[in-house]
Amino acid sequence: MIRFEPDRSQYPQPGDDGKLEIDLETGKYLKLWHGPNHPGITGNMSVELTLCGDEVVEGKVHVGYLHRGFEKLMERRTFIQVFPIVCRVCVPEPDFNEWCYAQAVEELAGIEAPEMAQWTRTLILEMGRFNSYMMAMGGIGGALGMGVIGQWMTYVRDLMLDRFEEMTGARIYHMFILPGGVRGHLPEGFAGRMEEVLATAERYLADVDKAMFTNAVFKARTKGVGVIDPALFEPYGVTGPNARAGGVAKDLRKDAPYLVYDQLDFEVVTETASDIWARAMVRRRDIDVSIALIRQILAKMPKDGPVMAKLPNVLHWKIPRGETYVAGESSRGEYGYYLVTDGSGYPRRVNVRGPSYTHAMALLEHLIPGTNIADVAALMVSLHTYPPEIER
Amino acid sequence: MGNLRDVLSPFTAWKHLIETPVTIRNPIGREAADGYRGFHQNDIEKCIGCGSCEVICQNAAIDMVPVSAPVDGDSGLRPKIDYGRCCWCALCVDVCMTGSLTMSNEYTWVDADPDAFRFIPGVDPKPWDDMEKGYRREGARVLTGAERVEMGELPPEARIDNFDEIVVGYTREQAMIEADRCVECGLCVATCPAHMDIPDYIAAIREGDYDLGLQILYETNPFSEVCGRVCTHKCETACAARHEGDPIAIRWLKRHIVDNVSEDRRLEIVGTPQALPTGRKVAIVGAGPAGLTAAYDLARQGHAVTVYEAQDKPGGMMRYGIPEYRLPYDALDRDIAVIAAQGVTIKTGVRIGREIAMDKLRGEFDAVVLSIGLHIGRSTRIPGTEGPGVEAAIDLLARITAGEEVPVPERVVVIGGGNVAMDIARSMARLQKRKHGAVGVTVTALEDFAHFLADREEIEESFDEGIEIVDARGPQEVVRYKSGKRKGAVKGLRTWAVTSIFDGQGRFAPQYDQGDERLHPADMVVEAIGQAADVSILGEDLTEALEWTRGRLAVDPAGRSSEPWLWAAGDAVHGPDVITAVADGHRVAASVGAMLMAMGEVAR
Amino acid sequence: MMRDLHDHLKTRYRLGDLAERRANLAFVDVARADLRALLVELRDVHGFTHLSLLTAVDWIEEGRFQLTYLMNNRTANRSLGLRVFLDRADPVGDTIHDLWPTAATYQRELREMFGIAFPGSPRVDEEFILEGWTDMPPYRRDFDTLAYSQQTFSDREGRETHDPRAHMAKKLNPEGQR
Repeated sequence: MIRFEPDRSQYPQPGDDGKLEIDLETGKYLKLWHGPNHPGITGNMSVELTLCGDEVVEGKVHVGYLHRGFEKLMERRTFIQVFPIVCRVCVPEPDFNEWCYAQAVEELAGIEAPEMAQWTRTLILEMGRFNSYMMAMGGIGGALGMGVIGQWMTYVRDLMLDRFEEMTGARIYHMFILPGGVRGHLPEGFAGRMEEVLATAERYLADVDKAMFTNAVFKARTKGVGVIDPALFEPYGVTGPNARAGGVAKDLRKDAPYLVYDQLDFEVVTETASDIWARAMVRRRDIDVSIALIRQILAKMPKDGPVMAKLPNVLHWKIPRGETYVAGESSRGEYGYYLVTDGSGYPRRVNVRGPSYTHAMALLEHLIPGTNIADVAALMVSLHTYPPEIER
Repeated sequence: MGNLRDVLSPFTAWKHLIETPVTIRNPIGREAADGYRGFHQNDIEKCIGCGSCEVICQNAAIDMVPVSAPVDGDSGLRPKIDYGRCCWCALCVDVCMTGSLTMSNEYTWVDADPDAFRFIPGVDPKPWDDMEKGYRREGARVLTGAERVEMGELPPEARIDNFDEIVVGYTREQAMIEADRCVECGLCVATCPAHMDIPDYIAAIREGDYDLGLQILYETNPFSEVCGRVCTHKCETACAARHEGDPIAIRWLKRHIVDNVSEDRRLEIVGTPQALPTGRKVAIVGAGPAGLTAAYDLARQGHAVTVYEAQDKPGGMMRYGIPEYRLPYDALDRDIAVIAAQGVTIKTGVRIGREIAMDKLRGEFDAVVLSIGLHIGRSTRIPGTEGPGVEAAIDLLARITAGEEVPVPERVVVIGGGNVAMDIARSMARLQKRKHGAVGVTVTALEDFAHFLADREEIEESFDEGIEIVDARGPQEVVRYKSGKRKGAVKGLRTWAVTSIFDGQGRFAPQYDQGDERLHPADMVVEAIGQAADVSILGEDLTEALEWTRGRLAVDPAGRSSEPWLWAAGDAVHGPDVITAVADGHRVAASVGAMLMAMGEVAR
Repeated sequence: MMRDLHDHLKTRYRLGDLAERRANLAFVDVARADLRALLVELRDVHGFTHLSLLTAVDWIEEGRFQLTYLMNNRTANRSLGLRVFLDRADPVGDTIHDLWPTAATYQRELREMFGIAFPGSPRVDEEFILEGWTDMPPYRRDFDTLAYSQQTFSDREGRETHDPRAHMAKKLNPEGQR
């Protein structure tokens, strides 16, 4: 099988100041806008690539296509009114926003959600993680020409959305985790129907293992490609599966257990190669962890009990001055909310720390030079980024 | 170079070729989950138009639009939803004060007209209006507090032998929690006879700004300390919170504000009249809530006001009708002091019609306001009511206030089921406890407990104090001893069970079950079935000149009688409580003020 | 734990009081001049190698911006938020992109959204999220989003709402009588 050697280009050359000189007038270079509507892009962002031949010599990330000023909007909403907005920061895994925000508000307001709510929240977060990984699996397959993986994963994700739908009343923006608890109990017979979904998922994932992970082309396109030197993890703020693929056994579910993770049994998944393959593999194996966790939660969670703490009247809810940061391990790494209150009925500042903020900006721009144009999509997708977290 | 397995394994995917497609052929019409958040439904009969849904909607998708005429506790507005903005979060459903607003699980609807997606659920008919499935709030309303902060009270054993005030009043912490429950819909304002700015003064409590709170109270009610204790609080029956929980304790919160402002500070905040003296003079007959409210308003307008009061002290029914354990006299005195501070002259112990004739007032003053209340007790006129041992509740109450000796026998039966009946029953119980060490009061009421006229608290507290209340009993005779040492003295009250009170036309025509007869033993019977105004003070000529309707002085909506110089206000013309009298006082003062102003213009 | 660290550091750096939020999260004010040295020590000596986030809070009433550097020690599961205050009239921060390259992105955003300058930070003046923005930095508290949207967009025709209290007063008590 043919493998392209990296660094084939002799261009561009450093100029007098040591910076690379890219003069489009020379005709040696080509500007290519990768996205925002390229199928290989992860959502509405674009990478401005400068090519020399088929090698990328520079990449600049452009975001802003999804900017709605969420953080600013939240400053103009009462604490309860922020609740329907937060989920919109991240479409594939919206629940993390709901939990981080609710937890932050609860902390600053001195409220504790009841135990039943804690278990339900954990269940929702794992269901969300599962779905997010479905998108990631389908994405990495799609980026490498294996559209069928995307179709299978979309189907399985849809089955999980059915469970979300019956549990929360909505498929995408669940709006179920309110400050103070959750909105309701699980429907009758939920665990049984969930088990059917998980069994179907396992069947399809076995097919993914055969069709994608045991696949000469996939291996050739991902092994040794898009390697992130683990030394870059701290300076570039790399967390989650991207770091775990480089041997860093850090997972906030274990290191800083939140909700009921300290009562659940699971291992932190790691790989060592830190390439596209390793990142895909970490996610693939983490799906199994999620499936096991969902089963565990459903088996262990209390059967009944209150789901909401007593709230003050939310129509004029004021929270004393304070600030906090609440973070958890999302499917893409550290997801956190920094909430500042000033004693009024509105947040003074909400800052969303999405893992994509570091992964898709500084890190991606650092990784892109020297890659083959054909590998850019796979590289990007392997970082598993969602642009709204960047621009919010 | 991968091994052979890596080349062959992907072909296993081909097995899916023979599988049935998993896609839904036609997704339009696919039924959503049972609890899906789809298009709204609104139970239009249950909805009260409080607008909490609009307030909580972070998308500004809801407009409150008029659908029916407003009535007590229902604004007649209903939410109209703009689905171009709705994000289906269902906070409107969660916050709904009545539970009327829900969501169906219908979510597919195609229409070429964008304006079709803006409608009033429950009013504009939609196919999903009666769907059983869809999002319902699980369990009780949690976004706004449902339970009232309990009011501290003296326990029965500590209060039964004295006239100490029973209600303790909220602490600041309690008041803050109670005030927090208010959703500020303002439905109560229309129901309050004086249209007090209830949501505003409750907000002042939340802000801890009692000065502001007091200022708001005085804008509509110079008897806030009194009303904070004894108001009939109709506002609370219009409260949005009552539909799924307890209504806000509006009355106690009002009292809480006044309790937290010192008397001196109160005089400072209210101040004295800012208007220049007009030189006009107004006489007010009767220093009750209506008369004194009118006096307050007119004095603030710059008129010289003199109030004539027959009793030794001002206050009217607030002092001589309401027992001290409900309304301490010093609380009343503080309210009256603020009114007196406006330059109002209050002449007590002057009985108009005897010491001073109405004609004289007419000659000396530019306008006269009659606010004489209802101080004559009505009698059932059943056999045996003539003679010793039968008393009118209102007389007894006044004598107790005045500190006079009243008969306190060991067994008392009260006829009547209203608040006055409870007042005299509980007052007598206290006196009995002091004198005999035991309570022996029986209240017999025409109404059954489900339709009782007295406030629920009054009934419960009476029970706590050991008073017997027998409902649905019609008095037939005051039975007297026919012979022996006690000949002629009251032996008891004979009653029949009531089967119905009103006839088909709604007229008062009680029907009895004569087979169910009881004799309630008593040494004294007290009648508390209503009062009348003492209109004899008007004198024959004036009585003749005035227009009357059903025995009451006829007045226009502003309180003006058929004589242009004479207005009437309060219980004597309207009734039945302090807050209505206050509202009446305002109304009459506005009318009198307008007339005096017009006189001023003409004079100039 | 956090208190020990604070006691240890405050002898050499100008630090405010420790505001403990949770056992593993605290915030502290830092003099701007001490920030860099403190960050380096936290990173190299105390294991706070991870920059969770860098953002700003506009305390417009106090005339200052707060920069929050949220430092995290993943091994010990501890986070320390450093608060540096800048004069709102002339807000200039110190770039730390050489300590954490990813900080360049945060600083670029802060430049754009709050108008805080970070001299020397790579591409700090390039547009980040906003394109062709000419108004004041929009995340400042005095940028009025409602006024902006009212100027920029038009309301849907025919919308009218009624306040229940005012509506009832108008219908039931049209003369406004008390």
